[in-house]
Amino acid sequence: MSVIHFVLLISRQGKVRLTKWYSTYSKKERTKVIRELSGVILTRGPKLCNFVEWRGLKVVYKRYASLYFCMCIDPDGNELEILEIIHHYVEVLDRYFGSVCELDLIYNFHKAYYILDEILISGEFQEPSKRSIVRSVAAQDSLVETAKEQTGSISNILAQAAK
Amino acid sequence: MTMHGMRGLSVFISDVRNCQNKDQERLRIDKELGNVRNRFKNEKGLTPYEKKKYVWKMLYIYMLGYDVDFGHMKAVSLISAPKYPEKQVGYIVTSCLLNENHDFLRLAINTVRNDIIGRNETFQCLALTMVGNIGGREFAESLAPDVQKLLLSSSCRPLVRKKAALCLLRLYRKNPDIVNVDGWADRMAQLLDERDLGVLTSSMSLLVALVSNNHEAYWSCLPKCVKILERLARNQDVPQEYTYYGIPSPWLQVKTMRVLQYFPTIEDPYTRRTLFEVLQRILMGTDVVKNVNKNNASHAVLFEALALVMHLDAEKEMMSQCVALLGKFIAVREPNIRYLGLENMTRMLMVTDVQEIIKRHQAQIITSLKDPDVSIRRRALDLLYGMCDVTNAKDIVEELLQYLSSADFTMREELSLKAAILAEKFAPDLSWYVDVILQLIDKAGDFISDDIWFRVVQFVTNNDDLQTYAAAKVKEYLDKPAVHETMVKVSAYILGEYSHLLARRPGCSPKEIFSLLHEKLPTVSTTTIPILLSAYAKILMHIHPPDQELQSQIWAIFF
Repeated sequence: MSVIHFVLLISRQGKVRLTKWYSTYSKKERTKVIRELSGVILTRGPKLCNFVEWRGLKVVYKRYASLYFCMCIDPDGNELEILEIIHHYVEVLDRYFGSVCELDLIYNFHKAYYILDEILISGEFQEPSKRSIVRSVAAQDSLVETAKEQTGSISNILAQAAK
Repeated sequence: MTMHGMRGLSVFISDVRNCQNKDQERLRIDKELGNVRNRFKNEKGLTPYEKKKYVWKMLYIYMLGYDVDFGHMKAVSLISAPKYPEKQVGYIVTSCLLNENHDFLRLAINTVRNDIIGRNETFQCLALTMVGNIGGREFAESLAPDVQKLLLSSSCRPLVRKKAALCLLRLYRKNPDIVNVDGWADRMAQLLDERDLGVLTSSMSLLVALVSNNHEAYWSCLPKCVKILERLARNQDVPQEYTYYGIPSPWLQVKTMRVLQYFPTIEDPYTRRTLFEVLQRILMGTDVVKNVNKNNASHAVLFEALALVMHLDAEKEMMSQCVALLGKFIAVREPNIRYLGLENMTRMLMVTDVQEIIKRHQAQIITSLKDPDVSIRRRALDLLYGMCDVTNAKDIVEELLQYLSSADFTMREELSLKAAILAEKFAPDLSWYVDVILQLIDKAGDFISDDIWFRVVQFVTNNDDLQTYAAAKVKEYLDKPAVHETMVKVSAYILGEYSHLLARRPGCSPKEIFSLLHEKLPTVSTTTIPILLSAYAKILMHIHPPDQELQSQIWAIFF
């Protein structure tokens, strides 16, 4: 029902780096989908188009270095639009991490998730301005940082008091 | 590459990555899960930071493919945390792990609602995002009015309002009966005046959902949509930050054109003319450029414009222009454009009378049938199937048959079925049709259902002229070294009924036909045996005067 049913990031070796499900898939179904789709996409050669038909749906994918970014849509979806949503996401990641690489997304997978939440909600495109997105994520980061500092000082006090 | 201080998480990830094999990884994961389970047993002793760390760890473990069921409750419980960092983890991990079918999500509804109606903007964003991603029926019941209020509230910042729009979109799409949108036409018209393009884009998506259910109510939005499209297409008044490689918010252009596709017509001549001008400009003015992303964005707009032109049932001239454009696309080197060219040509077939013009590109389309890319081959097949008529059926079916020999398994079933349907529908003569089906059985027997060979038999039975021909043809196939079981079935039936018509031909005496059939008996499954046996009986019946020797031979089989 959503425009984008799910987002999947997999490495060339088939390791999952991120999955986000906007349509309802059970845990079992998710595992099956990932396995099947990885098989289909990872075996596609480099000079082919970025669209794959799979299970009556369409998957738009693009490879960036060692990672495949995949988004699954309905057959009547606009493929190029999705391709550029993927690119938009990658550009935001790039701006945020400063020249992003797979390792960034492995160790900061949680960031990748909340950045994705600024780009898509319910499988729909949310924000065309990269600037807005990065600003929003930076604001979230500083909230976390501030809280940490506060907690740090409070727990120090508590720890001292408990001795 | 900083982790903003979650050392425990980084260390854990490194540990897992350093495992040499799956078994080691499993051990390390189990150890960690055990550790986390223990720590959560005595929750009082856990700091918020630790809770956060463990829940992120669980998401990581989940991504690796392991079960973290006990973690679901923990993630959901963090939603109620008082401070942002823990709340954030709770919301995000919950929306990754769970879906609307998880009952205990319901437990969080009150907290979520409090966050939505509360004054903390960052909490509102978290809540709206999660509900927008996985909210189900009960969320719709409890929260839809609150979300609606946020969307319309002028004191809310764009950041919140755009999330509210998409949240509402989800709730409405999944539960249109619960979400009350009476009188929303005016509200949507208002939202279309929005200057913030993030809010406008999200609102446009919401409008798509509303209009797809009931376009009658939203006529007032139509002229505004056209105005928005015009503004964007002319790049008027579009702030730099919303321009994507020089294209003004391509996603908003695409969404707006989507909305317009849900209105059956455009009554107002002025609006209609304006729209067609915009579309014409897009169709004829989209150049191919070097920059991949700019190209994709401008062509995303182009293809949506094409869909809209088809929907609006434009004049023949404009349609011909579209086909000409598509004709160019299907021959370019860039595979994406080739794919989309083929796909859209197929769509054109369905909506308008441009079949003759499309047929001019037949040669190129047939070339695409053999493209190295299976996605493109599929599109080519669909298009050939759609554009087939009596004038080109023979050529097209013969191409399909040829292609069948080298086609990969995933395509064979569809190919065979389509070839069979076309052969029957457009056969210039029946003997050609019989040839085609027999070739299909020979090349792709596994994918030929019983229905298909039953129909061949039906045709042969109802057409006396065909019977000798069919009998001779199946005998040719039976003479081959390898014969598919379906071929044996259809041959046995036809030869049983009509081999007597061949009796005078060399190698076609009843005895020889019988031997030919009988040597297949050991190789076939139980479903075929009855057909063979009845064939023997029929052959016997047709022999005048009766052949005693053959008769005894055959009776011996039966008894």
